[in-house]
Amino acid sequence: MTVDNIKKNAMKYTSAYPEIGTGKLGVEPIISPALFELERERLFKKVWLKVGRLEEVPNVGDYKVKKIDVAHTSIILIRGKDGGINAFHNICPHRGNKIISETGNETFGHARANVLSCRFHGWVFDTDGPVRSIPREEAFSSLDKKCLGLRSVHCDVWEGFIFINLDENPTQSLSEYLGGLGDHFSGYPYGDSTCSYRYSTVLNCNWKVALYAFTEGYHVSTIHAATFPSLATLQHTDFKLFGPHSTSTLYVPPAEGIVTTPATAAFGSVLQQSERHRPHLDQLPKGINPDRREDFQFEFPSVFPNFLLHLGAGAGYPGMTYFTHQFWPIAWNKTLWEGTNYFRPPTKPSERAAMAHVNALHRNAWLEDTGTMEDTHEALTSGVLKELVLMDEELMIRNTDYHWRRYIGV
Amino acid sequence: MSALPTGFTKLEPFVRDWAFATEKKRSEKRWSSTKEDFQVFYDAMLECLTSAFEEIDKYEIGKMPEQIKILYYLVLAFAEASPHVELYKGDSKVPYSFDAERFVASHGDISD
Repeated sequence: MTVDNIKKNAMKYTSAYPEIGTGKLGVEPIISPALFELERERLFKKVWLKVGRLEEVPNVGDYKVKKIDVAHTSIILIRGKDGGINAFHNICPHRGNKIISETGNETFGHARANVLSCRFHGWVFDTDGPVRSIPREEAFSSLDKKCLGLRSVHCDVWEGFIFINLDENPTQSLSEYLGGLGDHFSGYPYGDSTCSYRYSTVLNCNWKVALYAFTEGYHVSTIHAATFPSLATLQHTDFKLFGPHSTSTLYVPPAEGIVTTPATAAFGSVLQQSERHRPHLDQLPKGINPDRREDFQFEFPSVFPNFLLHLGAGAGYPGMTYFTHQFWPIAWNKTLWEGTNYFRPPTKPSERAAMAHVNALHRNAWLEDTGTMEDTHEALTSGVLKELVLMDEELMIRNTDYHWRRYIGV
Repeated sequence: MSALPTGFTKLEPFVRDWAFATEKKRSEKRWSSTKEDFQVFYDAMLECLTSAFEEIDKYEIGKMPEQIKILYYLVLAFAEASPHVELYKGDSKVPYSFDAERFVASHGDISD
């Protein structure tokens, strides 16, 4: 075998996508405050961003306010009178006060009588946007009320995931933006998994350090050796690129000597015996795990630029149907990370306890993941390394970086 | 009167330190536990886990009488504490990991 052939085999997944190349990953995008300013304008204010789930605002008038630090704004997502989701900047068109006072990164509430009112001067807005009443309206010299409604934001829903686009004139619809990835992942009953456990933390690192640490399976056998020793035989395969998005599949073949601990066996059997919580490989979209392999762990896509979905369908970690990660830049060196586990609701107390066990293992694995990020960021900031090398199964990182460069123009 | 249902009085010594309604309280207990604390709680719970499942499952989530609720909280504590015995060699922290106290459980205090 020639050296070139060896190299080609070593990059068997990556070489299928010659446009992204096999080069090194530049460090500058991670440690440059100037590039971060470009990311704000050219990336985060241009692309579709996932900001919620329909189940978070189930009833007409329910709202969620989501802070988007990178765009210096916060967005009201509210269930309108027609049942659809409306999105507005959380700002009063009168003097700029926030319409809804926020209590944190995410604020939930309900608009009574389908109106929102600003507590500064009492302007009242319909939940569909138009201003409904202005106290002492006659005292303004002239008012074009048509221009004084809530400032709307482009919003659309895919499979129950709510997305916004902060561009005044988005160049693509959400469906065009997601492209083949949207088709690949559609049809799964995401909406059944209404029971969610969400963790978040602010990490002192660039958002791509956190994103990239979660965008490969290469780290699993080392970083997760303590919490998930059984994942040592992980196979990361079936890579597919859909423009800026990508996906891949994780299988964990049965291996000799896998140790199932007594607690895992006890809680696992509660979930395995439950019709609702057992693995439902039959419910996976057709293109995912097409051979319906029993050792399927999860399908793992990167939704450009900052959202990772893991579709498990009850396989792998029993009971959990899917989990997500999202990475929100706050500054060039500060990131809000959010990780959420989604389950179907428990039907009895033992199922709830078994879910707590799966959730605890998962949270612990995320503590292992986040444990590297601040160290990585600090070390890269030294400037000692200019470029990073990537192996074949790190190609989803490579694809993200390739498209990141196209958006940023570097 | 026992805090626990009939048949589970052996778990009585663990009620004060482990039976909490919230994940936060249970985590604080985990973070301050020794290897021995984990082991005795783990051994006692594992021995009666199957019968504890049967007992709590006689009731619906959210409708458990007080004694059952205490047993249920112990099962939740076991769910969260058992990895420290089975995987972390009795360490109160996940080895080589991020500071657990910086993780915010944004789902609130789901307890039943």
